Amino acid sequence: MGIFNKIKNIFNPGANKDYANLLDEDVVVNVEHISMEFKITRDKIDTLKEYVIRTLKRSKKEKEKVRVLDDISFKVYKGDKLGILGFNGAGKSTLLKILAGVYEPTSGNIQIKGKVAPLLELGAGFDKNYTGKNNIYLNGAFLSMEKHFLDEKFEEIVEFSELGEYINYPVKNYSSGMRAKLGFSIATLVEPDILIVDEILSVGDIKFRKKSSEKINEMMAEGVTVLLVSHSISQIRKICDKCIWIDNGKLVMEGEVNEVCDAYIANAIREKNN
Amino acid sequence: MFDTVSEKAFLLRQLVKRDLTSKYKDSVLGILWSFFNPLLIMLVFTAIFSMLFGRNIDNYPVYFLSGRILYDFYSSATKGAMNSVKRNASLLKKIYVPKYMFSVSAVCYEFVNFLISFVILFGVMLITGAEFHWTAIFAIIPIMLFIILIFGVGLILAVCNTYFSDIGHLYNVFTLILMYASALFYPIEIVPAKIQAIFTLNPVYSAVTCFRESVVYGLFPDLSTLSYLAAFAFTVFGIGVILFNIYEKKLALEL
Repeated sequence: MGIFNKIKNIFNPGANKDYANLLDEDVVVNVEHISMEFKITRDKIDTLKEYVIRTLKRSKKEKEKVRVLDDISFKVYKGDKLGILGFNGAGKSTLLKILAGVYEPTSGNIQIKGKVAPLLELGAGFDKNYTGKNNIYLNGAFLSMEKHFLDEKFEEIVEFSELGEYINYPVKNYSSGMRAKLGFSIATLVEPDILIVDEILSVGDIKFRKKSSEKINEMMAEGVTVLLVSHSISQIRKICDKCIWIDNGKLVMEGEVNEVCDAYIANAIREKNN
Repeated sequence: MFDTVSEKAFLLRQLVKRDLTSKYKDSVLGILWSFFNPLLIMLVFTAIFSMLFGRNIDNYPVYFLSGRILYDFYSSATKGAMNSVKRNASLLKKIYVPKYMFSVSAVCYEFVNFLISFVILFGVMLITGAEFHWTAIFAIIPIMLFIILIFGVGLILAVCNTYFSDIGHLYNVFTLILMYASALFYPIEIVPAKIQAIFTLNPVYSAVTCFRESVVYGLFPDLSTLSYLAAFAFTVFGIGVILFNIYEKKLALEL
């Protein structure tokens, strides 16, 4: 895409997006031919001096492109629970980050309808010097919540996090479990339409773990759409109704959860035996 | 996510608040340092430079302070915006937050400090018996243009600094040159006439001149200087916005 097109897009956002497919009311996530490439060099040039010297000496190493996702398309309908399977390094987390808006795909389109709650990194925006109370507001702001909403939900968040008195202490004095509990409580209270989860259902002690999975079950019962990455196949079978399987950045299989899980396991056993 | 203005405004308030509280964390006087810090620094500067240039300028402390607070605002706000994206890298790699929010909040935070130093300037004007002019309200025009300039420069630097980390060091030297080229603590008359022409190209000097004319000398800011500042500020702002928009999504890959 030329630079002029880019400038044009700034003033006319969405001009090159295709909304026709979204006419189907029930599609909440529409991923179309997404590819993601990371440029990596063996020795990264990140200072100006090096950049100038290398340019003059013409010794800039060719950047290697690593294709992490390759032409992935799928649709998620409202209320779907989609599991995402794949080995380490298959591109699952990159896909979730694209869905959460952290990365922009190299090519392809993506459309999302509704409020997304990314449970990717709990308490990512905590300020360690802030008290738990102030962090609820700060982290809420990072998750695009508003003040009156947080005021309303404050009690509920504190109660759910089980922090009690500790809510008035700085977060730097929290244990990692307490931090995760607070992060979980804030992130799940957004009343999201779409929940993006990356291996997170095991937070805190056994008591809180039970409570958090109950909370997620409750949200799902209310019809929240879920995108779940997990290496626990039993968890995916239990929670999801549909599944996609990604290997080496390519979509291998898409379909009903048990079918895909069975194929995935069969493949894993085959590979191990080889 | 972040579709409405009120969501962004709340985030902005939270970010500015975080900067204000975390800066003087664990200090006894806390936020009062925002007031004492510039006051003490300015006292030192004023004492030293009064001896050097005091005889040539009427009410030297006011002359110096009126330039210095604008320069300080420029230098710390552009540096804050420059580092804003990098400093929040760990967050930006994990969740989606519009990246310019951090640059905007850095400038807003420095604007709060600028307002505090305003109080100091007026205090010094009172003590030294300087005349207050009604034209001081016109100072709002160069200040607004100045803020637009700062946003533009800050956005450009934020992008460049993410790609090349040594932009930060270069820019520190650049602001030092800018300080000497803004006639903050010496009268412009001691500069040879030929070089004075170069000074007028410096937008910070333009802003300082307009500001002094309206606040210190009771004049309406010079229209040609003002329009130069306006042209410069809007051009830089436009470049900054376009550059930031092009690179915003790619920045996450560079962090």
